[in-house]
Parts: sequence; structure tokens; C-alpha cells
Amino acid sequence: MTTQITQAPTPASRAKGLLKNQQFILVLVLIAMVTFFSLKNHIFFTNAVFANVLSDWIPVVLMAIGETFVIITGGIDLSVGSVVGFSGVVTAFAMRNLTAHNVNQNTTLAIGLLVAVAVGCGIGLINALLITRARIVPFVATLATLGAFRGLCIVTTGGGPVGEGPDSAIALTVPKYGPFNSPGLVVVVLVVIIGLYLHKSRFGRYTYAIGSNSFAARSAGINVKAHLTKVYILSGALSGLAGFYLYLRLSVGSPSSGQSGELDAIAAVVIGGAALAGGVGKITGTVLGSLILTTVTSGLIIIGVAPNWKQVVVALLIAAAVFSQGLRNWTKGGDL
Amino acid sequence: MSSATASASTSASTEEVLYEVRNISKNYGSVVALDNVSMKVRAGEVVGLVGDNGAGKSTLVKVLSGAHRPDSGEVLLDGIQRHWNTPHDAIEAGIETLYQESGLAPHLSVSANVFLGREEVKKGLLGKLGFLANKEMDQRAFQDLKNVGIAVPESNRSVSQLSGGQRQAVAIGRSVAWASKVILLDEPTNHLGARQAGEVLNIIEQVKSKGFGVIFISHTLPHVLRVTDRIVVLRLGKIVADAPTSTFDAEKLLGTITGLI
Repeated sequence: MTTQITQAPTPASRAKGLLKNQQFILVLVLIAMVTFFSLKNHIFFTNAVFANVLSDWIPVVLMAIGETFVIITGGIDLSVGSVVGFSGVVTAFAMRNLTAHNVNQNTTLAIGLLVAVAVGCGIGLINALLITRARIVPFVATLATLGAFRGLCIVTTGGGPVGEGPDSAIALTVPKYGPFNSPGLVVVVLVVIIGLYLHKSRFGRYTYAIGSNSFAARSAGINVKAHLTKVYILSGALSGLAGFYLYLRLSVGSPSSGQSGELDAIAAVVIGGAALAGGVGKITGTVLGSLILTTVTSGLIIIGVAPNWKQVVVALLIAAAVFSQGLRNWTKGGDL
Repeated sequence: MSSATASASTSASTEEVLYEVRNISKNYGSVVALDNVSMKVRAGEVVGLVGDNGAGKSTLVKVLSGAHRPDSGEVLLDGIQRHWNTPHDAIEAGIETLYQESGLAPHLSVSANVFLGREEVKKGLLGKLGFLANKEMDQRAFQDLKNVGIAVPESNRSVSQLSGGQRQAVAIGRSVAWASKVILLDEPTNHLGARQAGEVLNIIEQVKSKGFGVIFISHTLPHVLRVTDRIVVLRLGKIVADAPTSTFDAEKLLGTITGLI
């Protein structure tokens, strides 16, 4: 009389189960990379290099975390790199003005941070309106903002960096706690909180539901447009934060900051195991994916390989990640 | 009790009427989709709604579920006239609709699907921040599904790991768990194998015994004959028959649908 929903437990051993776990594989890949680079050049295994890797990682992970939410909804945000550039430039102008008016440095930095995040939210809102109101597909909508705001970076700055901000900015990015600098610690805490929010909250649940079956989400009473708007604003806000960090690191707002950052962000998310079709993705995957990307970049330079090889290695990692996804779906009996 | 003419029913049985539409008409431009249609469902009754393609079944379902507003006519729930502006209004009033194409979110767990859009949050501050009470929802989903005869060993398993029949069972279970009055099932046995369809029909029988009014829309006449108490036949936007299932056999039902009888 009762419909039994049973499924034979996977006969695979625990070890085999672990090998199917993308996070576990990513940790192995990361360890293998660190080992390889350290063996090739012992300088790699030093605090200074780790600090550098982490400092590179901060803007990438910030963009990639926002991108993870977007990709889980089945969308894409190509504008994250331009948001980094434009928010960095706007906050640089703002902080130059405040500094010229002798405003206290900490106040200047705090206002600069808010300005960068607000710029990011604004561009995220534009993306959301293009997607939900003008009904432009996310790829095209965010391609438009990618171009527009990179263009505005050049137009507003004349192509040169914007400096003369607070002197104390760059000091903030010096490693203080082992390889971590203070913003790095803040970012780690932020990533943990956002990760919990994605995996444990109603907001996260709706993000997955929309990417999994937006019709089902809508008929369950979820306001899909409003939710997507929040997701694109979140992506913009985190990229704005990344723009502020790059300002701190360089002490100038550079119009080329974050250039092709969208590729790094999407690569990190995909390597981390998210599916571009939506409904799948994990913050831990994205964190590891972005860490692998920045490790490769630094590692190749340190062992003396031309940095352009990075692109090739990243391409191989993406291919391997997507291939393993297909393989896992296949072994699960899912759609291919 | 009911007969081919609705007006013949006694006042005693009208009191039991849960959900009713009276003299509903709906046009799409010059196309008449529904022409003066009246039908009702009582508590604990399964009404089959059948008709050929284009007979107006989908339009009637959309009127019943609140997705469409009729051009004229009345919608009554518990004898009180209602106006649904959105499907959400109907859902709030206790009318759940299972559309054939809506389905579930395959990447989410069984319990996440059962609670989709009605999630429960943790107590205290974490709940205010939107954190979900997953354990409680898993347990409740398990119980709710079990109550309608669907046994899920783990309701935290992802729906993509279930078969088509199991998914449909969960989808129906979800409607039942939330409906307080009426359940509209639009082609729930479509695309299912014989055994899985049988399981779905078993669930419908259990749902009926719990006092819900069920409207069952299907093309599969043997399923309609097996599970319903009364059959309403639509043809070209008009009701051509409304009679107890016992008065039909497969041949007569087919003839009524096609107009050959």
C-alpha cells in the first residue's frame, strides 16, 4: 500500500566515496601543487610566498563567492572584473577628495569602503534590472555592464591611476598574522558567514531552488525576480569589496584593476564543482578553486615558468573539473 | 447522491460541497474556452475531470487554481464566494494544485521540496536571520509523506535520485501536506509506468479518505474509472455529463468525451 522510496546504499567503499567528493579531490590537488612547487623551488614554501598567494586570493575569492550564488541560480555575472575596476576608481577619487580636505585617515578609509561597496551594489542592481525587468539573458546583460564600466574606468581616469589617498592604506595589506593580513582575516570570516548563509538559510535554499527549477520555485510562491535581484546585488557588493582591497594593496585606483577578473571568478567556481546549468555549487569548492588558481599563478612564476602558462594550466583544471562532474553524474545515473 | 444535473442534489449534500464553480464562462478573443460551466467537489470525494484536447480542461483547472479569472460566473469555497487574484490566494485558502509540468526542484532534498516556499526557521536569533530548521523539516516531511502512504527512508535525500514515480509521489505528498481543503491533480499519472501510476492512484485513494476534495484531471480513462467517485465530462467548453463513476464504463466514457454517444 505504501510507496517505498528506497535506494540501495552506494556499495562503493568509503575511499571510493571520498574520491567522488570534489572538495576532497580539490584539497589533494592543492597539496600536490604546493608540494610540487616547493620541491621545484624551496622558496615557495615560505611565509612570504604564502602571504603573497593569500593577498592575490582575496580579490579572486570575493568575486568568486558572489559568482557562486549567481551561477547556482543558473545565471552568470561577467561584470565582476569591471566592478572591481570601477569601484576601485570611484573610491580612489572619493578618498583623494577626503584626503585633500584633511579628513582623518581612518574615516577616509571607512567612507572609501562604503563607497566601493555602494558602487558594486549599484552595478549589481543595474545587472538585476536588465535581467529581471528588461528580460535580457544574464550573459548578455552582464557582458554589457562589463564593457560599459571598464570603459567608464578609462574615461573617468584618462587611463592613469588615481592616487593621493590616505597613506595608511597600503600598511593594512602587510601580513600580520602569519601569512594573513588584517583584511585577509576579515575576508575569511566573511566567507564563512556567507557560506553558512548559502548552505543553511532560506536565502540560500531559494538560490538553489531557482537554479534547479525556476518554475517550481515560482509556483511554490518564491518571488524569483526579487531573489535574483538580491543575488546580483550581492555579487556586485563583493566585487566592490574586492575593488577596495586592490585599492589598499596598490594605494591607487587603477583603471585596469580586475581586468579579466570574471574569468578567474568563473574558473574558480567551476573548478569548485558548481554547474553552469544551475542548482549545484558549494562555497568550500569555490574557496578551494580560487586558492588553486592563485597558487598556480604564484607557483609558476617562482619555478621560473612563463606566467602565460597559467592560462593553460587553468584551462586543464577547468576541463578536469567539468569532466569529473560529468563522470559523477553518470555514475549516479543522472542526466548527461 | 449526485446526478447528471447538479440542481437535482438535495440541500443536505450541498452543505457538504467544499468547492464549487457556478456558470463560469471564459473566452480567449473569439474562442469560447468555457461556456456556462458549473461543477463541484465534496469533502472526501474524488471528481474526475475529463475531455478531449481543447475541451477546456486546462482553462477550468486554471480558474479553479486561481491562475485565471473567469469572464463571468462564481467561485465558491465552503459556500462563500471567492475571487482569486493569484494562485497564491487559492493556496492560502487551502487549495493546492499539482501541475503536470511544475514538478520539483531536482537538486533539493525531498524535505526541501516539501517545504519549498514555506520553510521553517530555527528558534531565536538564528531564525530571525533566516537560518533553517532542517532537522525538524526533515522529520515533519517524513511524517507528512508517511501519512499519505509514501515512505521515505531519508527525506534529506536529493530528489534527482528518485525515479519518476517516486518524484510524483513526493509532489502529491507535498500538495497533500499543505492543502487544507482541495487538491487539484493535473495529469498526475502522465509519463509513469503502470506500477508507478498504480502507486500514485493508491495515494489518491488515501488522500480521499482523509476528507479532502480531490479533482483529478486525466486522459488515462482506466485511471479515472478506478479512482474517481464522479466524472465530469467537458466537450467544446461545455459540461456534457456529470454523473457517478459507477454509471460509466470505458466505452460509454469515451463516447461521451468524443460525442459519439
